[in-house]
Amino acid sequence: MAAAAPTALAAKDRKIPKYRVVSHYQPAAQPGMPGPYRGQAASVHAAKCIDEATEKPNPDAVREMMTRGMCALTGDTDVRDAWARLVSPADIVGIKVNCSGAPGIMSSPVVVAEIVRNLMAVGVKPAALWIYERFQDQLDSVHYGRYLPEGVHIWAAENERGSRDSYDPATYVETELFDEDDTRSNLIRLVGSRFTKIVNVPNMKDHGAAGVTGCLKNIAYGNFSNVARSHSGTETHTYSFIGTLAAVEPLRSRTVLQVMDGLRGVWHGGPFSPNRKFRFYPKRMLFGTDPVAVDRLLLDIIDDKRKAENAISVWDRSPKHLGTGGDHEINPDVFQFVREPGHIEYAAGLGLGVYELDKIKVASVEV
Amino acid sequence: MPLAFLAVLLPGLYWDRPVDTADALRKAGIERLYVPAGREMLWRELGFPATAFDRAHAVQAAAPTVEYQMDVASATRVPWVDANGWRFEREPGRSFFYNASPDSAALAAAEAFAYGVDAAIRAAPEDLAPFGRMVKFLGQIGQPGLPVMANIGVIDDGSDAMAEVLNLLARHNLLFRVTPAVDPKYDLNISNVPEAANPYEFAMQVRRHLTDEKRLVRIYGSNVVLVRMTGDGSVARLHLLNYGKATVKGLRVRVLGSYKQGKLAAFAHDGAALGDYNMVDGATEFTIPELGAYAVVDLRD
Repeated sequence: MAAAAPTALAAKDRKIPKYRVVSHYQPAAQPGMPGPYRGQAASVHAAKCIDEATEKPNPDAVREMMTRGMCALTGDTDVRDAWARLVSPADIVGIKVNCSGAPGIMSSPVVVAEIVRNLMAVGVKPAALWIYERFQDQLDSVHYGRYLPEGVHIWAAENERGSRDSYDPATYVETELFDEDDTRSNLIRLVGSRFTKIVNVPNMKDHGAAGVTGCLKNIAYGNFSNVARSHSGTETHTYSFIGTLAAVEPLRSRTVLQVMDGLRGVWHGGPFSPNRKFRFYPKRMLFGTDPVAVDRLLLDIIDDKRKAENAISVWDRSPKHLGTGGDHEINPDVFQFVREPGHIEYAAGLGLGVYELDKIKVASVEV
Repeated sequence: MPLAFLAVLLPGLYWDRPVDTADALRKAGIERLYVPAGREMLWRELGFPATAFDRAHAVQAAAPTVEYQMDVASATRVPWVDANGWRFEREPGRSFFYNASPDSAALAAAEAFAYGVDAAIRAAPEDLAPFGRMVKFLGQIGQPGLPVMANIGVIDDGSDAMAEVLNLLARHNLLFRVTPAVDPKYDLNISNVPEAANPYEFAMQVRRHLTDEKRLVRIYGSNVVLVRMTGDGSVARLHLLNYGKATVKGLRVRVLGSYKQGKLAAFAHDGAALGDYNMVDGATEFTIPELGAYAVVDLRD
């Protein structure tokens, strides 16, 4: 692991927009984030979980990783007990996948299928399981249906980009970031109206604006409309917007598990992955209920890889490394935006989890 | 109290093609024509009420559309909208001429109707059917005799800079009226644009001075839908013009003031109704499930 991230950078010199959060949902007695395992994570590595040449995951290895990871997180010896701590047979579970980098990287269908299998093992019916994403075209490109039992829903909020009919008009964050007319970002309606629990399945990715994209980014930008407005020119408001969105009820209370799929990773050019040379293979999965703690580990995974590739750090804010015209897509020493990896620490300040590395308890497992 | 409806001023098709196109016009449901001077009688003999229109003396209106300038670096991702509302406000009482590009004639008709201006629209032959359907729709919804509602009074100095400011105010749904003098009924009056001012920055300053909380109308879910509002405090009509080609799904609208009832009439979406209607914090909000080129929403308390 790298040395502690430069936390001082995270808090200074940031203009925090004025946010107005509108939601009539009350928080749960114990919100899912940071949940019962605040400041904890299980980190499971398996050398055989993916074939680097074909990028084909190994389902048996993934099953073993998930079993060991969930047991390490919870302390249970039977994986069904581990899942039953978080989900009951009566729950309707949304599984928030990430498909923005498909087909290069996405929440692997093998990983998602294993999550579904575990949820069904504790009694959740297939019809009560919803694989979901914001954009239909991205979701369709992954073909989850080929890996899942009959009856599991596969659903996207925007079957046409920009459509808002699947968002809740009464649950939103209102803020003006860059003079935009539409100042609202609305929560996906199903999060409030149907899901009782959410399992978040991000990847291990670099992100051109946020520094990295993991649990917080996937649960925040992946559940709200109209979020691309947070970037303009070389500036981005991801520093505070990500955490603010993730903390909105009922999203915060209902997101009970983080399963970070790091079979593959993207060390530059994320969240997309058109260029295979920027993919790498951590062969690792992280489990937790605390999205901040898991993302804090992710920060070092991505930045360590960047260092190993002699690329500039995700923390680099120098204007000399900013470039336009697509250079950032091919050159890891060019950034499109002044990045905001401090968004993770900011989210900790909102009560979403533990950021300080020395306060995070990691259960490491080798499969 | 029932709404009082004015004699409806409907936009007309400007048709300078030969009379052997009459069947195509009938098929499209076109009932009234503007024609070049000297051709009125020919068309009248074929049963079309035809009026001579002098396009040279009319104000030229832009073909309404959206330009997505993806290759141009900009401060925001907002597409450029070619709209004429600001022009109508600036030149009241004039007649307007549209040389409508393909696919824009129906929207041009709606735009002219929303602002209550006399307009002749030259449409491509392939646009006759949608144009005819739009004019029929406009005739059905009528035009209540309500005053225009606005937040901002603009004392127009006639300058090019002010023209651009008016365009940008309209573009961002900052509702304004051109007024001869400062008028206290508006939340904000503006009288000149500094010579060196960036019109965009100026318009945004106007927005900040006004504040979003005071704005009569807010639109969420599209940046290519522009609004015209009329009303008297107890009833109101919103005209919603969608300059994009795609249907907008789930457009959310916030109107300042509490209106207990709202009724939607959406072009090409018969039977559509307002969704998620509520009154909160001194405003009325509702969702338009699908917005094609044009819709009106009538509100009453």
